[in-house]
Amino acid sequence: MVAISNEPLRSLYVHVPFCAHKCEYCAFYSAPPSGDIVNRYIAALVREFELVAHDLKPRTIFFGGGTPSMLNMRQWELILTELDRFNLLGAAEWTVECNPATVSADKAKLLRDFGVNRISMGVQSLDERLLERLGRIHSRAQVFKSYDILRAAGFDNVNIDLMFAIPTQTMEIWRATLAEAASLDSEHLSCYEVIYEEDTPLYAQLKAGEFDVDEDLACAMYDELTAFAGERNYQQYEVANFAKHKGTAASDIPDRACRHNVNYWRGGSYHGVGPSATGYVRGVRTKNWANTQIYCEQLEKGVRAIESREELPPRRRAGETAAFGLRMNSGWPYADFREATGFDLRTEWPREMDSLIARGWAQETQNQFKLSERGLRFADSAAEMFL
Amino acid sequence: MEPSKIRNFSIIAHIDHGKTTLSDRLLQTTGTIAKREMQEQLLDSMDLERERGITIKAHPVTMNYRAKDGLDYELNLIDTPGHVDFAYEVSRSLSACEGALLIIDAAQGVEAQTVANLHLAMKQNLTIIPVINKIDLPHANVELAKQQLEDILAIPSELAILASAKEGIGIEEILEAIVARIPAPVPTGAPTMQALCFDSYFDAYKGVVTHVRVFNGEIRAGMQIKLLHFGKTYEIKEVGSFNPKPYVRDVLTVGETGYMTANIKSPKETKIGDTITDARNPSPVLPGFKEIHPMVFSGIYPINASDYEHLKVNMEKLKLNDSAFIYSAESSVALGFGFRCGFLGLLHMEIVQERLRREYNMDIIATYPSVVYRVFLTDGTEKEVDNPAHLPEATYIEKIEEPIVKAFIICPNENIGDMMSLISEKRGTFDHTETLDTRRVMLTSLMPLNEILIDFHDRIKSITRGFGSMDYEHSGHQESEMVRLDMLVNAEPMDAFSCIVHRSKAEGRGRALAAKLKEVIPRQQFAVAIQGAIGGKIIARETIGSLRKDVTAKCYGGDVSRKRKLLEKQKEGKKRMKSFGSINIPQEAFIEVLKTST
Ligand SMILES: Nc1nc2c(ncn2[C@@H]2O[C@H](COP(=O)(O)OP(=O)(O)OP(=O)(O)O)[C@@H](O)[C@H]2O)c(=O)[nH]1
Ligand code: SF4
Ligand SMILES: [Mg+2]
Repeated sequence: MVAISNEPLRSLYVHVPFCAHKCEYCAFYSAPPSGDIVNRYIAALVREFELVAHDLKPRTIFFGGGTPSMLNMRQWELILTELDRFNLLGAAEWTVECNPATVSADKAKLLRDFGVNRISMGVQSLDERLLERLGRIHSRAQVFKSYDILRAAGFDNVNIDLMFAIPTQTMEIWRATLAEAASLDSEHLSCYEVIYEEDTPLYAQLKAGEFDVDEDLACAMYDELTAFAGERNYQQYEVANFAKHKGTAASDIPDRACRHNVNYWRGGSYHGVGPSATGYVRGVRTKNWANTQIYCEQLEKGVRAIESREELPPRRRAGETAAFGLRMNSGWPYADFREATGFDLRTEWPREMDSLIARGWAQETQNQFKLSERGLRFADSAAEMFL
Repeated sequence: MEPSKIRNFSIIAHIDHGKTTLSDRLLQTTGTIAKREMQEQLLDSMDLERERGITIKAHPVTMNYRAKDGLDYELNLIDTPGHVDFAYEVSRSLSACEGALLIIDAAQGVEAQTVANLHLAMKQNLTIIPVINKIDLPHANVELAKQQLEDILAIPSELAILASAKEGIGIEEILEAIVARIPAPVPTGAPTMQALCFDSYFDAYKGVVTHVRVFNGEIRAGMQIKLLHFGKTYEIKEVGSFNPKPYVRDVLTVGETGYMTANIKSPKETKIGDTITDARNPSPVLPGFKEIHPMVFSGIYPINASDYEHLKVNMEKLKLNDSAFIYSAESSVALGFGFRCGFLGLLHMEIVQERLRREYNMDIIATYPSVVYRVFLTDGTEKEVDNPAHLPEATYIEKIEEPIVKAFIICPNENIGDMMSLISEKRGTFDHTETLDTRRVMLTSLMPLNEILIDFHDRIKSITRGFGSMDYEHSGHQESEMVRLDMLVNAEPMDAFSCIVHRSKAEGRGRALAAKLKEVIPRQQFAVAIQGAIGGKIIARETIGSLRKDVTAKCYGGDVSRKRKLLEKQKEGKKRMKSFGSINIPQEAFIEVLKTST
């Protein structure tokens, strides 16, 4: 197995637990802010930065949520200057999630000035009725307007999040949304089927029989998506992720892929800060309290707000890494897997690999094992075999 | 107690006519139960009885009563169930008695089980005391009830006591009638002690507790006894009676009923209906009970295979307390190792399953019930088949006979038409109608037992809005076109769903089962055909389209741990699946279908 390194970690995730209004399908930890909770959260977050800063030299940073763009100028300024104070600026890839309803030119400029260089926009749909159905707070028009603001502020790496198989969404609507999104010509598309998470209104509606899931339509929409992405030069590099490749030499991972996420799927380490954030530090997975109140109280006492820890034995950890890495089109180059886990994929899971190949779900080359196009659609069944 | 001061009687009636409520009043009036301990239907002590408001087990109680003649009597009462499925409880109880209170609900009049239970009592030459109960009800019709007593039961109506168990009317009169009319027990005159074991249960500390009626001599702790059926001897540890909880007594004298324990640790050493006698100087066997033949069979399987041995032990214990229930080992491809179980009827089946679940904490699943068919083979031999799996190939079968019952359905006049169509839907043949009174008739018809198993009783109740009732007696067998319906997944039979049905019903049932299976069998990575087949002929078909994807749409860093646990759980679930050819079906799917189709 790999020796535990004392090198500082290269990835940081920051969770901002606020949203103006909760979307119907959303199971992330977020809530509309009330009272002085935002400022209290920021103070706590800064405290947490301080606690992890010595172990960080970020190459990727991801501000997710919640709605990070909801924070106002003053609040952002505070966060950014504190990051600067802890020497955490300068990531090669620094993403902030934005809701199209909360983008302004000033905010965009501020982020850009401090080194944020990638924006992920939660668009979900470009159909007015579906936006309403999903409980999104923004309109179609706001998507286009915010996109222009971000481009004008100098962001040349933008992701657009889209959802398909939304109840009442037809194939025509999905095609139209894809076409309009592509016309924006963003560098990255993240397109995923609706997930019915327990404890969400959408799930309750499904259970109450308000609508049915049409699996065949969902599959057709996915087919449409992959075909469309190919036509528009978006290269698929993970089940739900597509990016432009600007370089000349072909690569399994396009150069506009989200490096931060690639690190997750490849079992890389990262620190996670903010309520509900998870971290993966030297083989230990941690999860912060998914409760802003508790989070703040803990940090006000000067300790991290970690609710749970989990450390798997090395071989199971390697299995987990194998399983999640297979979600990527590149699968696992054997050398990378060995470096990430200390195990050899071929000697540890030969039967599983053979059976996946026999089913037509995977391919094996000299250096690499990866799921086939069909296999990617059964990535969970495939993943299971390594766990 | 002096035999002349002992009275043994059962309370018998149609279901719900008020037997247990009347027992309450008798317990109260005789001071057996203090007022503050009193609760309604006190003797219905099992949870299942209280929940369903019906008596399932016969319950014995000993009461002391000072009669108007100034003398003290010991009254041994046995409250019995009214439902036809528990008639064996009634007949065994009657064997410990000299008399019976026959209760008739003044608002309902004589019903099917009134007649049936009266016949049981008369066969044993018991003295009958008719009681017309519920006279407090506004729609009580005492005159009509008396008329029916004479016309249907041939009992002089002046013998009837008018009562309300609920309001406490007529209770003294009933107690006096018990003393005056029911004969005192008479010793058999055998050389030594004789007692009849008429029921039992298992006690974790005392072992088998046997309910006994002493017919000759007396029993007390320390006696050496012999159980004649197995020929084994024991020493009595304890004797006692019920009030209604068991309490220890010094002795049970001739004519008394109560219980005894003898450190019998294995339920298998006890046989209900056995004679208990002196070990050194045994007396002859008492007439025991007619062997009863279960009429409904079904498989019972532990949901966790590892519970098999445990289930077996618990079934043994349950059988002690329910001698009408029988079982033997069997196995199924879909469900693993389990038991073939026989019951007297569908309610009995349901109760046994519930008792196993609750009293014994067993997680079980039952297969589709079947009756016992007589199969005549081409080689001239004959075979009894109660399990579809044992039905020989059609080419070896000369003919099949199915059990027939004579069903007596009592219903209001206005439902006759609907009832006739129900009878013919269930392949019955109508025989004749008798007018019971101005409002009601009794329809007699011959029906295949197999058809009344599932929902016949419920259908009668719903057609008559609760006013109809049914009883039946066995009426031999008749040749029928019975076939085995098999359910196949991609051509592999799933034995748990096979059933023997009449040819005319096979297609309907095949379709219904196929549709249900389609609902619960998860999609596989290839299309799956579900078929209903008779022999080689497919009569129903459904297709489960192939699974087109299995992938979580979106996966973040934060998800990894949660997602991994989810996948691990799924993987665990798949391990517990049963495979049929290349198809994996979770056991829950079988359970789901078996639950909804029986
Ligand atoms: N009004 C009235 N209701 C009565 C009387 N006796 C019993 N009941 C009611 O009739 C229902 C059935 O009474 P039970 O005593 O349980 O009848 P049962 O004959 O023991 O029933 P099974 O044991 O299930 O056959 C209950 O709701 C009683 O309250 C009575 O004298 N008058
Ligand atoms: S904006 Fe995003 S985080 Fe907030 S509720 Fe909607 S989906 Fe959830
Ligand atoms: Mg009762």
